[in-house]
Amino acid sequence: MAVTAVHQLAQCITCHAWSADRSMVALCPNNSEVHIYRLVEDKWEKMHVLQKHDQLISGIDWSARSNKIVTASHDRNSYVWNLERSEWVPTLVILRLNRAALCVQWSPKENKFAVGSGAKTVCICYYEQENNWWVSKLIRKRHDSSVTCVSWHPDNILVASTSTDGKCRIFSTFIKGVDAKDPKNESRFGELIVQLDLSPSWTFGVKWSPSGNTLAYVGHNSVIYFVDDVGPSPLAQNVVFRDLPLRDVLFVSEKMVIGVGYDCIPMVFAADERGIWSFIRYLGERKAVSSGSRYGSQFSEAFGKFYGQAKQGGSNDASETSRTRGVVHENCINSIIPLSRQGTQIRRFSTTGLDGKLVMWDLETEQDLLELLVH
Amino acid sequence: MARAERFVEADNAEAIITRIEHKSRKIESLLKQYKPVEALKTALEGTYAMTGDERCKSAHWIAVHRALMAIKDVDGMLSSLDPEYYDILMKYLYRGLATGDRPTCDQCLRIHEKLTEKAGLGCILRFLTDTVNTV
Repeated sequence: MAVTAVHQLAQCITCHAWSADRSMVALCPNNSEVHIYRLVEDKWEKMHVLQKHDQLISGIDWSARSNKIVTASHDRNSYVWNLERSEWVPTLVILRLNRAALCVQWSPKENKFAVGSGAKTVCICYYEQENNWWVSKLIRKRHDSSVTCVSWHPDNILVASTSTDGKCRIFSTFIKGVDAKDPKNESRFGELIVQLDLSPSWTFGVKWSPSGNTLAYVGHNSVIYFVDDVGPSPLAQNVVFRDLPLRDVLFVSEKMVIGVGYDCIPMVFAADERGIWSFIRYLGERKAVSSGSRYGSQFSEAFGKFYGQAKQGGSNDASETSRTRGVVHENCINSIIPLSRQGTQIRRFSTTGLDGKLVMWDLETEQDLLELLVH
Repeated sequence: MARAERFVEADNAEAIITRIEHKSRKIESLLKQYKPVEALKTALEGTYAMTGDERCKSAHWIAVHRALMAIKDVDGMLSSLDPEYYDILMKYLYRGLATGDRPTCDQCLRIHEKLTEKAGLGCILRFLTDTVNTV
């Protein structure tokens, strides 16, 4: 099985992030605090509780080299936490937002971070040495609706953002004084490079491939969109899949993507030699059982009522099969973070969900997927 | 892209209605030959354009409805239908369910159950979220 460990750390987890050496994890247990846990001899110990936000924390990111944690919350603020001696000290970042912050990510060089918000804007924050504080620059060109997810391109300049208006927009975040001038890339801050209008419904979970050549994001209509050669003439592909929508994706290699979402089981998508993306399989046991019990007891009862039948072969059987099916997460998985990198490939990653579980996955046991990874 | 098509097609609404009438005649002849599956396929084809005009949509719906009501073997029909038509069929099923007419709803519900088994919940979601291409 691809699952290496399952930990119940809270009742519900909104987001999580790992420290650089992967010994500590910071997560938000669906309230206004960040809990940092360390794995000590097989047991998780709560090391720190970061209390500064007033409302739900919607995004956490832990930078690998500079060891800073950035948190974004529904209280329209963002804090950058520095470890001083053994205490995490917060620094307020004034984002100048009038709506909740929904997502946050450090840039690859860790000198900037991007925050997506319900105010339809993306804030790019950088550190100003002279005044010793973090400055926020808002990208003027707005989305038409809340920005659900942001992702940095490996070149540290481009940022992709998805929104509930169905569009994915790529902006340049070149800041004089922070970024090195690149003669090939003469773009101004906040310039809209590409606008992708592929989905009629809300879009989430945008990520760049390791080389930055391909972009993937998911729509709430159970479709995942892959865009190759992002630029003036991008090549877009829609991959339609059978089940409930995804919430987040992760590029484990240039040609393989793992998607997680409302179906509680990660899905694997891969591109073949021609570059055509398709759904490969689920990462976990999803045995094809007979119609009624497939969706678990709640669904089969609902469908039973819908189709005018009393009980589809006994809903007790259905709930048992879902447990024996080896379903790991019991509720929507909302984030997927890489755990270890081998070159540009990721073999191990972790997922957290609304059921409060932190699950670690390892692709080493999945022979067929490893073969696809290598090619 | 879809929007540009709609502007062009609106001018040719009459042309589309004639095309639909032609298709209806073809569907009638197929039904007389006891080939309800082919009739449904003919009805669903060409709904890709999905013009914005209300008359075209109604005319299309009447043709699809005729073919849907004639289907007796649902499993056979679904196994011979191309997967690319699942999403469109789902949209028409919901339109049928919205009519409230007893025989239509019975038939649509029967097909809905089998189609969900085959196409999954994603098919229903694509119908729910697609506010641009409605039938």
